[in-house]
Amino acid sequence: MTILTGKADARRRLQPDRAGALRKIWEHRADYAYVLPSLAVMLIVIAYPIYYTIELSFFNTPPALQLRDKIFVGFDNYIAILTSPVFWTVTSNTLIWTLASTLIAFVLGFACALALNRDFVGRGVLRAVLIIPWVISAVAASYIWKWIYHSDFGIIGAVLVGLGWADRPPNFIDSVSTVLPSLIVVNIWREFPFAMIMMMAGLQTVPDQLLRAAKVDGANAWQRFWHVTFPHLRNVSTVTILLLAVANFNSFIIPWIMTGGGPSNASHIWITHIYELAFGRQRWGVASAYSVLLFLILMSLGYFYVRALSGNEQKDGSK
Amino acid sequence: MSIIAETTHRPLTHRRMRIDGWRWGGRIFLVFMLLYTALPMIWMLSTSIKSGFAAMQFPPQWWPDQPTLASYQKLLDPQNSVGQDFLRFFWNSLFVSTATTILSVIVAVPAAYAFSRFTFPGRNFLFFSVLLRNMFPAVIFLVPLFILMRAIGLVNTHGSLVLTYLTFGLPLAIWLLKGFYDNIPVQLEQAARIDGATRFQAFVRIVMPLSAPGIIATAIYSFIGAWNEYIYAYTFLSKNEQLTLPVGIQRFFSENTTDFPGLMAASFMMSVPVVVLFLVLQRYFVRALTEGAVKH
Repeated sequence: MTILTGKADARRRLQPDRAGALRKIWEHRADYAYVLPSLAVMLIVIAYPIYYTIELSFFNTPPALQLRDKIFVGFDNYIAILTSPVFWTVTSNTLIWTLASTLIAFVLGFACALALNRDFVGRGVLRAVLIIPWVISAVAASYIWKWIYHSDFGIIGAVLVGLGWADRPPNFIDSVSTVLPSLIVVNIWREFPFAMIMMMAGLQTVPDQLLRAAKVDGANAWQRFWHVTFPHLRNVSTVTILLLAVANFNSFIIPWIMTGGGPSNASHIWITHIYELAFGRQRWGVASAYSVLLFLILMSLGYFYVRALSGNEQKDGSK
Repeated sequence: MSIIAETTHRPLTHRRMRIDGWRWGGRIFLVFMLLYTALPMIWMLSTSIKSGFAAMQFPPQWWPDQPTLASYQKLLDPQNSVGQDFLRFFWNSLFVSTATTILSVIVAVPAAYAFSRFTFPGRNFLFFSVLLRNMFPAVIFLVPLFILMRAIGLVNTHGSLVLTYLTFGLPLAIWLLKGFYDNIPVQLEQAARIDGATRFQAFVRIVMPLSAPGIIATAIYSFIGAWNEYIYAYTFLSKNEQLTLPVGIQRFFSENTTDFPGLMAASFMMSVPVVVLFLVLQRYFVRALTEGAVKH
């Protein structure tokens, strides 16, 4: 009896709220009209694929992707991944690739932003030239660097031989020990401009008065940077590093075109490995299970990203 | 007396030397970065104007003795098969990128406006789920989208590309545009509404023109993204006549892997449109890109 009244009470307490929520949604129906087209597109091309990937990850699907013949296998695909030795190679490659690319690209980009943050002749031109690698297609970049690293006619090898530092041009991307660092150099080449752009924009928000005040107080350039400039850039640094990390984690074009993950998986990262499992070896179920794991990792990174961004918004005082 | 003179004098010279040290360090660093950035591009240009024979010399020539535009002529000549293919790829890229750009702007403008101005239930959740899309790589969506496109008969059409390019074009467009709308004072619209305009009229007549730079920046971003996209095009298209540039170039040089001058010329031509577009409009573009991240 008491339980029943308790339930009824709870229902009574809940109902006005729910009706209120519905009424609120109804009142705002005109607002939803603005977002509806984009939501429709997102539902078709994002929500549905995510759902489908999760489903596929529990099935074995025949090579030709005849979906009617798929067989439920439970967590077998996940177990297959975690027990495969390739998984660990690929994971450590991914970690090295992501961390090294992100940190070096950020530091170089930040340093460029600082160096460009004063007036000198040719500053605009210099900035434009430094940005170009980021704008050109990654496919073009991959071919350019493949040619630069070419084991017979590559320019770096030729310079090394010319200087007497090597007997013959090294096999930069054909050898297990050098392939990953060589690709990271290419990736940084393409990504440091992004960090530079972001940090340049951030530097413009550092109040001049503060810097001048610090100068008057006797702070040297390093102290001014460390105590005034850098704390001001904390937000933009966080966002930049996160965006770089996610972009690097998700890289495909450079490793795929330059080496296809080889030699002997030495340059395979998660993304290229998933692609090869799916479209190369037609192991759709395993590839989907990999995607789900990737999805979970990215969701947790995304959590920090959203927190960094909403931190910005709150401080800004806007909605 | 002399002590005071010294203590006030010495820190000054000391400081000046320090600052000079930083300035020179910065200059040397910038020269290094300039070399790192520019040398590969110069090497691309230099190779693209070599003959096939000159490209295969060891040690390589930094700049060819006899520069030739033969590779470019070949790519741009509609009379031969290489030129036919290249021009078709170029045209396909242009079509797909333009269609993607127009569609994402049309769909993103109202959505970004709503996210900037209205408070409706679920607004934050929806906005962040839009943003989160940018975290996910194309590969995750590839298998299911491939199945979907096959089911609705869009595999091997440019429609499949335009639709999938919206998956990364839209979230970014919404984010960039929202930043612009946030910076347009609400009072302007309120004034218009007091004068009798509806909310929609205020949006179209007042806010849209003011956000034109933002729309341009967003359009460029979508265009560059679609122009450079590789993985969907690589997976969804199989017929030679449909390929876009990034994939087309690969197909065509994989048959002739030694034609590096041709490959470099093609890489150069593929980069020119986006680099020009970017350099001309970089002011708007950079502002849009960094708008959300630099707020305090």
